[in-house]
Amino acid sequence: MSETVDSAALREEVRKKYRDVAIRPNDKYHFHTGRPLAARLGYDRRAVSAMPDEAVESFAGVANPFSLRDLKPGERVVDLGSGAGFDSFIAVGMVGATGHVIGVDMTEEMLAKSRGTAKAMGLGNVEFREGILEELPVDDGWADVVISNGVINLCADKQQVFGEIQRALKPGGYLQFADIANGKPVPASAVANIDLWTA
Amino acid sequence: MIEDSGFVDVRIGPPVDTFGGAKGEPNARKFAVFGYAFIGRKP
Repeated sequence: MSETVDSAALREEVRKKYRDVAIRPNDKYHFHTGRPLAARLGYDRRAVSAMPDEAVESFAGVANPFSLRDLKPGERVVDLGSGAGFDSFIAVGMVGATGHVIGVDMTEEMLAKSRGTAKAMGLGNVEFREGILEELPVDDGWADVVISNGVINLCADKQQVFGEIQRALKPGGYLQFADIANGKPVPASAVANIDLWTA
Repeated sequence: MIEDSGFVDVRIGPPVDTFGGAKGEPNARKFAVFGYAFIGRKP
């Protein structure tokens, strides 16, 4: 019988981990964070330099979701697992004043940080909603683009997540995301070990 | 899984050494874990 991960326990561990990243962004984690990570992943230097520290310091992505396609002015974007808002703020810069970005995150401390930063930056076309990727708080067919960075791999039910992305996207809309993938098989015992999902 | 979910024109970017130099590097090396950008379109 194959071992599976406890999805509720996994969600709680993920919430705990990213609460720490929101509150103590300069601690050492198993992943890189902040401006050094943004540079490592090839983000536009000028766009990142223009952001306040609060918008960047808790960034914990795994690659660059904008590397295969630039967003277009006026597009409506949903950012899955928006954290402290870094990718949402990059997206706002691309879609401009006629576009709109909705960040979705389940961690209260990340939501407080992203909302505070958006207000400080004077951005009226980005909002952050509480929710999980398996039940997106977004209307059917609202989005031109769904982005995400290093979050889908942390969801136990990926089929449900992709189903929700399909629901939220317009026909012809894009899913452009960054995530990790393993080149060597992970044993079932490791898959069931929540510590290995989050550390 | 992306194509199985109904997306078309799926492309994957080159691997990124996401964890190099971080505390998670040993586990990443063990399972050849890299970061990737993905894109797909809803028909």
